[in-house]
Amino acid sequence: MLAILPPTDLQAIDKPNDAGSSVNLSWKLSSDDSMIDGYVILRRLVSDTTYHEIGLTGRGVSFFEDEGTQDGQEYVYIVASVKNSRLFTSEPSNNATSYPQVFHTGRINVLLCIALFTAFLGYFVSQARTGKELFIRRIPGLAAVDEAVGRATEMGKPILYVPGLGDIDWTATIASMNILGEVAKKIALYDTPLIVPNRWSVTYTVSKEVVKEAFVTEGRPDKFKEDYVRYLTEAQFGFAAAVNGIMMRERPATNFFIGRFWAESLIIAETGAQTGAFQIAGSDSVLQLPFFVTACDYTLIGEELYAASAYLSREPLLLGSLTAQDYGKIIVLVILFGFTLFSFFNINLLALLEVQ
Amino acid sequence: MKRIIPLFICLLIGFSMIIQFFIPHPTSLEFGSTIYKWVIVLIVFALVLAIGNLIRHHGTKIRRQKKDWPYSIVTLSSMIGMAIIGLFWGIQAESLFQKIYLNVFAPLSATMFALLAYYMASAAYRAFRARSLEATLLLAAAFIVMIGFMPFGQYIHPRFPAFAEWVMRVPNMASQRGILLGVAFGAIATALKIILGIERAWLGGKE
Amino acid sequence: MKWYEVISTIDRRIIYVLLTVLVILPFFTRVTIPQNIMPQTQRLFDFIESVPPNDKAVIMTFDYSPQTMPECHPMAKALLKHCFARNIPVIGVSFDPQGPGLAVDAITSVVDRINHYATSKEDSLVYGKDYVYLGWKSGRIAAMLDMGESIAGVFPRDYFGTSVDSFPLMQRIRNYKEVAIAIVLSAAAYPDDWIRYPQTRYGVNIGAGLTAVMAPKYYPFLQTGQIAGMMSGMKGAAEYEKLVLEHGYARELGTAETGMNSQSMIHILIIVFILLGNIGYFFSRRQK
Repeated sequence: MLAILPPTDLQAIDKPNDAGSSVNLSWKLSSDDSMIDGYVILRRLVSDTTYHEIGLTGRGVSFFEDEGTQDGQEYVYIVASVKNSRLFTSEPSNNATSYPQVFHTGRINVLLCIALFTAFLGYFVSQARTGKELFIRRIPGLAAVDEAVGRATEMGKPILYVPGLGDIDWTATIASMNILGEVAKKIALYDTPLIVPNRWSVTYTVSKEVVKEAFVTEGRPDKFKEDYVRYLTEAQFGFAAAVNGIMMRERPATNFFIGRFWAESLIIAETGAQTGAFQIAGSDSVLQLPFFVTACDYTLIGEELYAASAYLSREPLLLGSLTAQDYGKIIVLVILFGFTLFSFFNINLLALLEVQ
Repeated sequence: MKRIIPLFICLLIGFSMIIQFFIPHPTSLEFGSTIYKWVIVLIVFALVLAIGNLIRHHGTKIRRQKKDWPYSIVTLSSMIGMAIIGLFWGIQAESLFQKIYLNVFAPLSATMFALLAYYMASAAYRAFRARSLEATLLLAAAFIVMIGFMPFGQYIHPRFPAFAEWVMRVPNMASQRGILLGVAFGAIATALKIILGIERAWLGGKE
Repeated sequence: MKWYEVISTIDRRIIYVLLTVLVILPFFTRVTIPQNIMPQTQRLFDFIESVPPNDKAVIMTFDYSPQTMPECHPMAKALLKHCFARNIPVIGVSFDPQGPGLAVDAITSVVDRINHYATSKEDSLVYGKDYVYLGWKSGRIAAMLDMGESIAGVFPRDYFGTSVDSFPLMQRIRNYKEVAIAIVLSAAAYPDDWIRYPQTRYGVNIGAGLTAVMAPKYYPFLQTGQIAGMMSGMKGAAEYEKLVLEHGYARELGTAETGMNSQSMIHILIIVFILLGNIGYFFSRRQK
């Protein structure tokens, strides 16, 4: 059998931006790559004499990550082309040592964006503090909240507020809690019962506190009832069934579906529409928005959900943060436009963004 | 005090977790995983409160024989029954718990999910009316996609399915990305506002 | 009430009854709505066609759950029929704990049917020689990576507890080098990990059979060739069934075909109702 050429140019470097214990290997494919079975990777400590096999790759692969190194130890590697169990080894690599990094350089762009955005936020919030008037466009879904609460009061029926099916670690759920606080304040002024069903134990405790505090803020702590905020079940469709049951039995005059939703969105929104309730939905789940738009009277689309608490409370500090968001978006749009423009001239700037 | 302590904890943990994201060192990773473990522990405590609420709500309903109280019996007995079966007879593949899960719970969930087909039909009938220019565009897009994805879409024109896919891939995707961009900024702003204590509605509003 | 008012305010219960009837109807009648073959399905089929018989194996991962069974189960069966008809050995695995029950069902139903019609011993399928099912393993990513070194190392025993080394098939197929393609059947984003890990390191070919909701995410991977071919939802399954039947690898179509007929019927029903609603709306507006 003819000799098979081994891979060449074997390089070993510490894997960047990791917690240590990893060395990255790369090599140029053997010229006989198409004929071989694959590559075998062998390693030894510099202080040692014998190589040990540490892994295999398929043919056409010129990269291997050794995830079993000891930090601080020096290693040397060889890679061999394999054909019918025979090894054709490369020249040894340079010596390599793995160690953990203290800063993830691949995330510099994220850090810069956070810093820039925080600066915007700080600037516009301080502007707001000086009493500068900030404009916020009319959001029909939020303008209708007063009407929604008033309607339920007139009809003497409860208001249902579903804070989504996401746990508290979804930002949409947190935004929903902020809106719930504002809605509960309006409700506290009337004698309208409120029903807040929850899917998760943590959202249950948070929403209970939010509603309770809202009643306290409005000076009506006596009006708050423990029964307003309920825990149902973690099962997705069990929750949907329970919410449907509440809508059919207790016939709320107004339904709010605000937060993160999945496949159950239309099931609950359509049931609500069938009971004749006035419905306001809001979600950042792009796939569920069309369902809400078809079945609800008003829908908060995407970022309107996050703007809601500023809109409802009219608190200058929160309004200031909306302006910061707008500036953030302008920057992103300028970058997108710029990159698109450059790509027309065949200049690829994407390489500049080779970070996470 | 009642406000300051939670705000302080929020600020401290929030910033620690942001910093943790930028440090790949094992110590930092360990800190992150410790925090996640704490979250799990806290969730368990919250679960006790939540189940307490469930039992109290339905217990009161049964005791006072409020409207529809028999449903509450079903809820409570199912919950307690499943808990006892799971605790005493285990949850392995062949256990009674698994059998109930697969033969009662799974079909019930599937039934709820299947209702979607009915609701889609009735919602589409009610909502897809050419009331305005926007609604007409929506209607047209819906038609193109529905017919294009059906087997006989190709008989209208051989390239019709490809056109339907284009509608999904280009205009639909473009608008989705637009929404997602706004969502991303909204989410970042909300997170920062909470960490910095600007947003306090979750604590019941202003002091 | 004028006719146009009637058709623009049809009671939802009428819609529900018609929908139910149209879903059930295709199960009892032999209406066949012809399927066009989408290019991604054809590519997966062609890939399996190009695998030489009695050589490399096909890995199938059964990573779907009962909820998505109507979409993924017929895909699995059609693929199995195709592989077995071409004498390509199949290794089944699961990384989703809900997979094994469905995997065993799919494999046994296809194997029993083939063996039922087998005329000689050579024609019938033998467990351990023509196919194995290795069962479920936790730690998905680590497991799929380790299979590149040794499949028997990750699954020392098969689903039924037999030592994997005792199977003639597994003595021959040791790791990804002897695997033609790994086909991921799932309702989740599992192909991501297959592309990111075993494909990057071992150069494994990846195929996919995904629910219609998940599939659009993977069109870019088809363009780049990182996914060799894909079945998308029930339609993808029905297309594959049709291909398998047309090439004489199966005696009849599977359940996806019937499911697709139901689905098409509903689409037609919805389109008809939307049209009725709009006609009614148009005339009632003209009257005003």
